[in-house]
Amino acid sequence: MQPVLPRGFRDVLFDEARERESITSAITTLFSSWGYDPVETPVVEEYRTLEAGVGEGLERTAFRLFDLDGALLALRPEMTVPIARVVASRLAGSPGPHRIRYAGDVFREHASLRGQARQFTQVGTELIGAGGAAFDAEIVLLLIGALEAAGLESFLIGIGTVEVLHALLGRAGGSAEWQAEAVAAAQSRNLVELDRLAARADLPEPLAEALREVPRTHGDRTALERCRQLTAACGCDAALETLSATWDILDDLGVTGRAQLDFGLMRSVAYYTGLQLEAYAPGLGLPLAGGGRYDNVLSTYGHPAPAAGFALGLERVMIALAEQDRSPALDPLDAVIGGALPASVFRSAELLRQAGWRVRVATDLEGLDLVRDADARSAAEALVVRGDDILRLDRAGEPATTVGHPVPAPPRLTWASRGGAL
Amino acid sequence: MIARRGGCGSTLRMALPKGALYAESVALLARAGLDVTGLADPGRQLTVRAGGIEYIIGKPTDIPVYVAYGGVDVAIAGKDVLLEADLDIAEMADLGYGACRFVVAESEDAPRSVAELYRHLGVIRVATKYPRITEAHYAERGLQVEIVKLSGNIELAPLIGLADQVVDITASGRTLAENRLRIVDEVLSSTARFVANPVSLKTDSERVTGLAEALAAAALGQKG
Repeated sequence: MQPVLPRGFRDVLFDEARERESITSAITTLFSSWGYDPVETPVVEEYRTLEAGVGEGLERTAFRLFDLDGALLALRPEMTVPIARVVASRLAGSPGPHRIRYAGDVFREHASLRGQARQFTQVGTELIGAGGAAFDAEIVLLLIGALEAAGLESFLIGIGTVEVLHALLGRAGGSAEWQAEAVAAAQSRNLVELDRLAARADLPEPLAEALREVPRTHGDRTALERCRQLTAACGCDAALETLSATWDILDDLGVTGRAQLDFGLMRSVAYYTGLQLEAYAPGLGLPLAGGGRYDNVLSTYGHPAPAAGFALGLERVMIALAEQDRSPALDPLDAVIGGALPASVFRSAELLRQAGWRVRVATDLEGLDLVRDADARSAAEALVVRGDDILRLDRAGEPATTVGHPVPAPPRLTWASRGGAL
Repeated sequence: MIARRGGCGSTLRMALPKGALYAESVALLARAGLDVTGLADPGRQLTVRAGGIEYIIGKPTDIPVYVAYGGVDVAIAGKDVLLEADLDIAEMADLGYGACRFVVAESEDAPRSVAELYRHLGVIRVATKYPRITEAHYAERGLQVEIVKLSGNIELAPLIGLADQVVDITASGRTLAENRLRIVDEVLSSTARFVANPVSLKTDSERVTGLAEALAAAALGQKG
């Protein structure tokens, strides 16, 4: 048979897999330096557990399965809710705040022929058990740090809050249907529909104006002032306090050059209660990362706690890096080593590794075949073991010079041109 | 999937739909004060560069895909194709023109009424180019349907006995009448919209919102 993968799933091999490892490790090292510790959760959860945390959106995205007991399970569509579950259960007794990082595969259903992956990798953090501007700022700083650690040169962070819209809708009242339509329109960035909803006859003009204009307001401090005017006219400006204080902290640190306030930013996940966060790369039509504050998720699991976090899409970060010609440089192979006696080949290879070499053993190859193998693997050297000596092979496959004792530093560190060209 | 636009630089990309909305779209761009050189008669050209904008001329139903995946920054598209595509797209302005209605129609000559057939067979067979909109419409009415997706000339489906009803767009209803189909229900109405990729709206917001305002103003008959 011709084996095939289900649509939307794929294998990751060699160079791509090494790049993923390298980027993930750069980001998690940064998180770790902030004192964030790793948590791993199962890829499978009870459907109802996920549903309680994720809300309505789960129905469209969950990858569902039944086990032999007939329990309805789902593959995790994101990491935030499983981690909230862990904190609300296993960590319920321990004092917060909890600073948690993760890197894991998530799964989402998509209709066919949309060119969408059904499995992808999220790398992110959750800061659970603390709320307020300083903690929101920490999350923003971590996101900026993560994008820099990944090697991105050019990116933009969008920062907003759902509090303003919630406050405006609270003032506006109206039917439950109108409220739901307004939230849906804001989440899908449908300004035409928001204008239509703001035209409701009984709505006072300041509220209607705020509903029309707030989602269109973005930029730096001037945007904040504009939004303050609009919301103050409806008595809703208190909803801006946390975001305003967060922006002050970021401004003080001089990082607002890479960020923009965006009062139209409403991520399409129901559980957000405050900060909204997205990261963009120029020329890429989808965000690299997203997150925000979700203060009510843990209370659905019986242990209320404020919480915020974000996730980077590893695949999207890799696309952005490739677009900016900044994919991570991978260590090339320093040598392929062959020879007639396996034991002495392994012994010599170990000597080289101790000196920092990346060495591949090829006990079955000698002479020209060994040189060809080294070429094919872009190894800097083709080596052969003769007695106690490690010898370099020349282009004709003949032993030429000795590597020498003690073993020198590996070629990839000493050669001017990285990349392993022979 | 995500569009990769190597060296996208500073040129804004706008997709325009071929066909029914095209001429009015170009006229609106001109009224909004944009340079439309080469757009009026692009011949076989699929891309036209004018006034700092790269125009992409595409099939109407593909335009939501171009926008959602970031192949273009902004576009003009009918509300009908936006609804059918159901993708993550920011809808910036209602441009007013290109008005058409989605309707349910059935044959005037059918020997038995659809209601009677439904009573006996428990299902209505519906042909359409817009399966998603159709499915939502009948679900709202609580009617059981079998939907068959066709690519064009939907009016033929009842004639050849493939469907009891059709869901199609119509501006005047003339094509339906000529094929002896009568309108029995309204699904929704549609106009042209100015839309944007959500990320372009964030990263290039001055130009995107500027264009949205200029086009909305021009659509209202003011000088943009």
